[in-house]
Amino acid sequence: MFDLLIVAAMLVCAFQAVRAPRLLIAALWLAGASALTALMMYRLGAPEVAVIELSVGAGLVTVLFVFAINIAGEEPPVTLRSLVPAPLAWVAALCAVGLGVAMALPNLRAESALVQSERFATVLWERRSLDVLLQVVLIGGGVLAVLGLLAEGRADARKELK
Amino acid sequence: MPNIETLALLSIGLPWAGALLVWLVQDRKPPLQHALAVIFALAGAAAAIAMIPLKTDVNVLHFPLGSAFGLVTFLPDGLAVFLAVVATTIGSLAVIFSVDYMRGERQLGRYYAYVLFFIGSMVGLVLSSNLLLIFVFWEITALCSYALISFYNDDPKAVSAGIKALIITQVGGIGLLAGALFLYAYQGNYDVPTFLAGAARLPPNVLALMAFGFLIAAAAKSAQFPFQTWLPDAMEAPTPVSALIHAATMVNAGVYLLARFYPAFEAVPNWKLAVVAVGAITALMAAVMAIVSNDLKRVLAYSTVSQLGYMVYAIGTGGIFASQFHLLSHAVFKALLFLSAGAVIHAVHTRDMREMGGLGKQMPLVKVVMIIGGLALAGIPVLNGFWSKELVLEAGHEGGPLWAWLFMLVGAGLTALYTLRFLSMVFYGEPRGGPHVHDAGPAMKIALVPLALGTLTTWLLAGSFGHFLGSALPEGHEVLGTAALLTRIATAPATFVALAVVALGLAAWWQRSKLAGVAHALRGVGKMASQSFGFEALNRGVVRLTVASAESLRTTHNGVLNWNVMAILVGLVVVLAILALGGA
Amino acid sequence: MSLPLPLVAAVAVLGLLGVGLLGLLVTRNLIKAVVAMQVLVKGALLALVLAGRLSGQVQTGQTMALTVIVADTIVSVVALALAVQVRRQFGTLDLQALSTLRR
Repeated sequence: MFDLLIVAAMLVCAFQAVRAPRLLIAALWLAGASALTALMMYRLGAPEVAVIELSVGAGLVTVLFVFAINIAGEEPPVTLRSLVPAPLAWVAALCAVGLGVAMALPNLRAESALVQSERFATVLWERRSLDVLLQVVLIGGGVLAVLGLLAEGRADARKELK
Repeated sequence: MPNIETLALLSIGLPWAGALLVWLVQDRKPPLQHALAVIFALAGAAAAIAMIPLKTDVNVLHFPLGSAFGLVTFLPDGLAVFLAVVATTIGSLAVIFSVDYMRGERQLGRYYAYVLFFIGSMVGLVLSSNLLLIFVFWEITALCSYALISFYNDDPKAVSAGIKALIITQVGGIGLLAGALFLYAYQGNYDVPTFLAGAARLPPNVLALMAFGFLIAAAAKSAQFPFQTWLPDAMEAPTPVSALIHAATMVNAGVYLLARFYPAFEAVPNWKLAVVAVGAITALMAAVMAIVSNDLKRVLAYSTVSQLGYMVYAIGTGGIFASQFHLLSHAVFKALLFLSAGAVIHAVHTRDMREMGGLGKQMPLVKVVMIIGGLALAGIPVLNGFWSKELVLEAGHEGGPLWAWLFMLVGAGLTALYTLRFLSMVFYGEPRGGPHVHDAGPAMKIALVPLALGTLTTWLLAGSFGHFLGSALPEGHEVLGTAALLTRIATAPATFVALAVVALGLAAWWQRSKLAGVAHALRGVGKMASQSFGFEALNRGVVRLTVASAESLRTTHNGVLNWNVMAILVGLVVVLAILALGGA
Repeated sequence: MSLPLPLVAAVAVLGLLGVGLLGLLVTRNLIKAVVAMQVLVKGALLALVLAGRLSGQVQTGQTMALTVIVADTIVSVVALALAVQVRRQFGTLDLQALSTLRR
């Protein structure tokens, strides 16, 4: 029952995030959706990932969004027509979700017994250490990309120096 | 001495490495680009030649590519190594020739990169024994061919010729892809040796579909009937490219495909007859078209189509050895003819033979080598073309229908006729070229002389060639030694009949003034021939249709995120629907 | 009535996926597109954790979810940096105006 509430709230937040007219409001709704997702993950028995999702997804990414929106500036509040006709988009999305529901729900198994008895840390650092390496590489690459993107061009810097 | 696996990878990888390096060097240092191209082409040739003593009949090199694509395997048996050696050696000679021919041209990086990329892919095509990999290399050679035909990309004729070649060969390639997919569906993997050993396990209608699909792919690639119009138009390419791709290597890919898969398809009803028909009709039709053309390279292109028809005909009658032997001779003398034509064209700056003439005095070396090549083409005794063509005719006489044999015989006479025609138009008669006609440059001579020597001598390898091909030949073929083979050819009655027809062809040109009445009566045929007997219009229609449909579908590529996501979503819905229905 | 947890979670996953896809289809603003993508990824995360729980390999599911969190965060960081630069260079974040392919 409690879970149903969480899911309902999560979906409402997500929907509002997508439909909000102003970007800052959308970012805040997204933070709400992230927090509720983290709660859902805890309910599904994954406390470590839940806390990481809370801090990164609801915290870091939200700050990032606010920062970027402030630098980029809000668009003028004229609501433009969407390029894909809205009914078509709704139909397509509902079809996909409906098919997903039709295929997944009848086949949901009951939870099977716990196979892995190791701790999360053991699995992460020893069994799937390649994943950790991948994450480090991704972070390094992302940092380099952002530095490259946000650096001023050499010509601009020279102009400023003059 | 490295082992066969390393050599196989090197013979594909060295030309590819050369392509990358030449492209990276960039066009500011042309001498370096020329040098790099020649070095890597020769290195690839050395690797291929080093494979000759190490050939093996089992798959080497197994790279697993996941369950969908199976194992990447290579099979360096006699047939494969032979074609790899031909591709890389003639490739190296064409690259050496390009040093002089392309001197001063812009964008050399693009040119050499594509040529080297092509050489590597051709070697990969013949060495692969995974049918999907063969298809991948097939497509790469088509891409390089298109890029090189349209190399002078500010000339609209070259661009349209390139697109036409691409579309026609790709339409044929669908046959190959369909065959590969059928194989996977019924065999569970793409392994070619397994298929060849047990082709009878497939249901007969699937095997027939595969057989005719492969025939269509081979006919399109080798410019056979009814796909023959792209090759003459592809002569817009720089001449070394014509020599390499459109005479000695890529067009042989179709013949290779038929020869490789012959053991699997020979039992399919009517397949051999279809192959014979395609080969015979092409050979005769192209020979007629060569007689009426005035563009030197187009004559050679039609001649290539005609000779490929001979090879295809030989395969259809079961003479695999004859077809591969003729492939060897043809690769050598046709490359020789194209490169010497390139020297001539480079000197007089025109391809129209009516503006040439009397060049024999000013270009002595080119005249000699081109006459050698021409004699081989016409099938004059002692030269390699004679032995291989007679072998083809003999195989056809034994294994094929009589009407096809008569077509090939007439074709041989016509071949002699058009050969003498173009030789005399270019080198004899009144000099019409300008005063500054120079003989071939040094790099051109370095390329031409080995080919001429090859034309004079490759027939001596007949016996060892048969042993080399070994298991690639169908069972029941007796492998003879060189002397026995040559004697058999020389004493067969078919040979004398053919020689008589060739002599008739030569005499017809020599006495052409007396035969003017006959020529006038056949003028209508000549006009039809210059229109490629209506196929030109057909193919142009196909190309126009393809281009129009591509333009009309451009609206789906509008680059807007929403529509792209929509497309992904629609695809997802389709896949989910298929899965839902299939599972239920 | 109390529904089993896997069912509720599956509904959540599919709902998030649907909302995210709808957002990507409908929005014209580059940053809103990143928001919609984030929603989509949340759905994927839940799906991973759910699958881990259903198959008994909870820790593996969690580890994969962790990798996805990291990757998705990096993607949104780079996408936002791109959006900022696009805004500086072209003055607009509208997807139709930014598309320069010949129509």
